[in-house]
Amino acid sequence: MKPLFLSLLLLMCWPWAGAQEMNDGEPLLNRPADRTYDIILESGYIKVGVYRDFPPYSYERNGEPAGIDVDIGRRIAEEMGVEFKVHWITPDETLGDDLRNNVWKGHYLAKQRLADLMLRVPYDKEYAYMQDSTGEYINEQVVMFGPYQQETWQIAYDPQQLDSVQTIAVFQYNPVGVEIDTLPDFYMSSGLQGRMRDQVRHYPNLREAFSGMRAGDVSAVMGMRAEIDHELAQVENERFVKAANGFPGIGKQAWDVGMAIKHTHRQLGYAVEAIIGEIVTSGQMNELFSRNGLSYSVPQYYREFLDEESIARAEGSQGQGSNTK
Amino acid sequence: MRTNKFGIRIATSALALGVSLGAHAVTDQDIMNDQNTPEDIVSYGMGTQGQRYSTIEDLNRDNIRFLQPAWAFSFGSEKMRGQESQPMIKDGVMYVTASYSRVYAIDARTGQELWQYDARLPDGIMPCCDVVNRGVALYDDKVIFGTLDAKLVALNKDTGKPMWIKTVADYQAGYAITAAPIVVKGKVITGVSGGEFGIVGKVEAYDANTGEIIWTRPTVEGHMGYVYKDGKKVENGISGGEAGKTWPGDMWKNGGAATWLGGTYDADTDSLFFGTGNPAPWNSHLRPGDNLFSSSRVAIDPDDGSIKWHFQTTPHDGWDYDGVNELISFDYMENGKKVMAAATADRNGFFYVLNRENGDFIRGFPFVDKITWAEGLDPKTGRPIYAENGRPGDPAEMSEGKGETVVAFPSFLGGKNWMPMAYSQQTGLFYVPSNEWSMDIWNEPVSYKKGAAFLGAGFTIKPANDDYIGVLRAMDPKTGKEVWRYENPAPLWGGVMTTAGDLVFTGTPEGFLKAFDAKTGEELYKFNTGSGVVGTPVTWTMDGEQYVSVASGWGGAVPLWGGEVAKVVKDFNQGGMVWTFKLPSDRVASK
Repeated sequence: MKPLFLSLLLLMCWPWAGAQEMNDGEPLLNRPADRTYDIILESGYIKVGVYRDFPPYSYERNGEPAGIDVDIGRRIAEEMGVEFKVHWITPDETLGDDLRNNVWKGHYLAKQRLADLMLRVPYDKEYAYMQDSTGEYINEQVVMFGPYQQETWQIAYDPQQLDSVQTIAVFQYNPVGVEIDTLPDFYMSSGLQGRMRDQVRHYPNLREAFSGMRAGDVSAVMGMRAEIDHELAQVENERFVKAANGFPGIGKQAWDVGMAIKHTHRQLGYAVEAIIGEIVTSGQMNELFSRNGLSYSVPQYYREFLDEESIARAEGSQGQGSNTK
Repeated sequence: MRTNKFGIRIATSALALGVSLGAHAVTDQDIMNDQNTPEDIVSYGMGTQGQRYSTIEDLNRDNIRFLQPAWAFSFGSEKMRGQESQPMIKDGVMYVTASYSRVYAIDARTGQELWQYDARLPDGIMPCCDVVNRGVALYDDKVIFGTLDAKLVALNKDTGKPMWIKTVADYQAGYAITAAPIVVKGKVITGVSGGEFGIVGKVEAYDANTGEIIWTRPTVEGHMGYVYKDGKKVENGISGGEAGKTWPGDMWKNGGAATWLGGTYDADTDSLFFGTGNPAPWNSHLRPGDNLFSSSRVAIDPDDGSIKWHFQTTPHDGWDYDGVNELISFDYMENGKKVMAAATADRNGFFYVLNRENGDFIRGFPFVDKITWAEGLDPKTGRPIYAENGRPGDPAEMSEGKGETVVAFPSFLGGKNWMPMAYSQQTGLFYVPSNEWSMDIWNEPVSYKKGAAFLGAGFTIKPANDDYIGVLRAMDPKTGKEVWRYENPAPLWGGVMTTAGDLVFTGTPEGFLKAFDAKTGEELYKFNTGSGVVGTPVTWTMDGEQYVSVASGWGGAVPLWGGEVAKVVKDFNQGGMVWTFKLPSDRVASK
C-alpha cells in the first residue's frame, strides 16, 4: 500500500514539480527577496511571471504550466542555465497594477511574492515614459524591454450564420461575442455611433464566447489574434473561419509585446534581452508559435532595423504577412 | 447543552471566561430597541435606522474636558491598513473587527483580549477596494461578519470559534464583503462589494441560526430574485420587471451596482434600505439609459427580498458616483404633521430627503460648496439637471493625444464617502462628514490590460482649497441650510456620532478623536490616538459611567486613489488600535 501510494504521489507531482511556484521572500521583514542577476544564477532558478488561465499565452494543462509565454520562459531559463519557475499573475484592472503587484512592489496581501521577470508586457515607449500630472514618470520602477511578438485584433465568424465579414458594419445586424471589459468590448459597444451596441454579447473569456458561437448565440467573436488562432485550432471550432476585415477607428491596430523587470535589475534585463533577440531573429520564436498553432509577427521594433531577408527569416521562410492573415 | 466532546469543550471554555457569565443572548427585540438602551450597542448604526444618536446625557460641553482614556488595545501583526470598524458592546464585552477580516472580543472594562479570529484568506485573492472591515452583527450567541473572500462567518460569542460559514459570492469573480451585516427578524442581511469585473450587486438574507440562505435579490434590472423554501429555490420576480428597459444590449448581465456598504432597517415601514454602486462599465457612453438600479437607494421587504421602491440619485452615472451611502430614517414635524422621512448625503454632492414610505422625493440640496456635473435637482422628482459638458468624454471619439480633460466636482471619492453621518433627535440636524475635492478625468491615450491595448480613463483627485479638504457640516434637513462647519486639513474618512449631551464626535486622519458642540460646532475636545481615525465612534454606559470608543488606524481609499491629496496625507502613519475613553462618574456634575 505504502510504496504504491508513494509512487502515485511521485507520478502526480513529477510533471510540474520543476515549474511550481517558489516562495523565497523574507518572512521576517515580510518583503520579497532582492533577486539580482547574480543571485538568480546562484539560486539556480528564475521566476517568470505569466498571466493565470490565459490561453494560448499561459495556462495550466494537466496541472502543468503551458502556453506560448510559458514556452518562452522555459527557453530563457534554459539559455541562462537555470530552472524555470512559474509565477502566476492574477490580472488587476490595468497593466500598471500588474507591474506593481508582480514586478516591483508586491501585492499588499502577498508582500513576499515577486516575479524576477514578467512576460506579455506591451513594449511601447509612449507608455513606458508616461508622466503623471506632476511630471513624475509613472513607470519609473520598472524597465520594459525585449519585444518578442506583435499582437493584433482578429475576428472569427461562423460561416453558417454569415457569408463573410467584409466590414464590421455587419454587426449592426448580427450578434458578436467579446470578452467583457476589453478593447473589443468598447470597440463594438461604441463603434459606428453605437449602432452595433445592441448586438454585443459579453463573455468572461474567449473560450466562453466560442461556446456561445457554437450554440448559435453569436455569429462572430472578436479577440486577440493568438486567442482566436488558439480557439480555431480546437476540434469543436473547426467550422469557424478567420475574417479579413479591418478595424477602422482603433487607435492601436497592432502592438509589440515584451517583458518587464524591476528597474534595479538591469543586468538581468540585458542578459534576457540578448537571449530573446537571438530567439526572435533566428526564427526560433516563429517555430515556437507555429508549434502552438499560432500565427507569428515580428515586433515593429525589429522592423525598424532588420532588412527584409532577416525579417523573413524571423517570421519563417514562407514569409508570412505581418498583420491579419 | 450538547453532550458530544465538541460541545463539552465549548461549555468549559465559556465557563472559563468569567466576564461572559450571566451574559444574555442578543434577541431581535434587543436589536430593534438598540437606540433606547445605552448600556449596549448591538446594531451597526447604534439603532437599525442608523441615526448614530445616543440618548446618554452625562457627557456634555461642560465636562468633556474630563473625558479620559480608559484603555487601548492593539490589533497586532503587521496587518495595519485602514481600521473602519464600528465596535459593538454587549454585557461588558466589545466586539470589533480590523483590517484583513479579523475579529476581536475584548473585555470592555479592562481592554483585555478574550479571543481573536483571523479569517484565512485564499492565496492570490485580489480584493477590489482595500482590506477594510466595518464591523460585526450580533445575534443570539453569535458574532457574525463578512470576509474579503465574500463569506459570512458566524462565531461563538464566548469562544470565537466558527459556528457556520457561508459563501455569499465568488471572490474569484471579483466579489468581497467589507460592510457590517445587519440582523432583522432573525435574518442576517448582507450586500456584496465588487470591482469593475462584470459583477452584479445583490442583497441576501441568511438564517442567523443556521446560515441557510432565505432570499436573494439582485440589484440590477433583469435579474431574477429567489426565495428558498424547504431547500428549494423559488422564483420571486425579476428585479425591475424585465431586462433591457434601461440598459442596452446584454449589459444588464454585468451591470455592477454593488451593495458594498450594507444597509439600514426601518421598523415603521418594515423596510431595508440598501444603496447601490455605480453601473458597469465605467464609460457611460457605452450604456445609454438610466441603468437601474445602479447609483440608487432601494427599499427591500425583509421577509422575501422584494423591492418596494427605489430612488436613483445619479441616473446614467458617468462619474463613478456610487449610490451606496447610508439612508437614515428620521421623523420631523411639518405644518403639525409628522413626516416619515429618510435622508442620505450622496457621493454626487447632493443631500436628499425622501419619503421613506414610498421613496418620493421631498427635497434635495447641495451639501458641498461646489458641484459641476449637475446644475441642480428637478424640484419635483429629484432627478439631476445635467450640466452641459459635465460628462467625461467618450474614449471611442478620441483622436491623438490625451483627449479633453473634464473637471468634475465632487471627485469620485464623493462629497461624502462610506463614512456614516449622524442625526440628532435633539437638534434635528444631520452631521455630515464631507470633503471638498474635484477630479480631472481624461481618456488615456495609451493604456493596456492583460497584455492587450485598452481604452482606459485616467483621473486625478485635487483638493478644492489649499488649507482644508474635510468639512464636518451640520445640515438642516428641512431647509438645506448649513448651520455650522468645521474644516479639517486632511479629508474626513471616519464616521460620526452624536449624543443627547449635545455633542458630535468624529475622528480625523491626523489621528484625533474630536468632539464638537452640536449646536455651534465649537471644538470642545481632542485626543490623538497615534494614527488616523477612519472608524466610527460609539458611546455606551457601563457601571454607571459613560464610555466612548473608536478604532484608530489610517487607511481606506484615500491613500490608494487620492491623487494630489497625497501631499496632505503621505506622512500619516498606519496603525491598528481601538481606544476607549470614559467620563469618571464623579466628573458628571463638573462645570
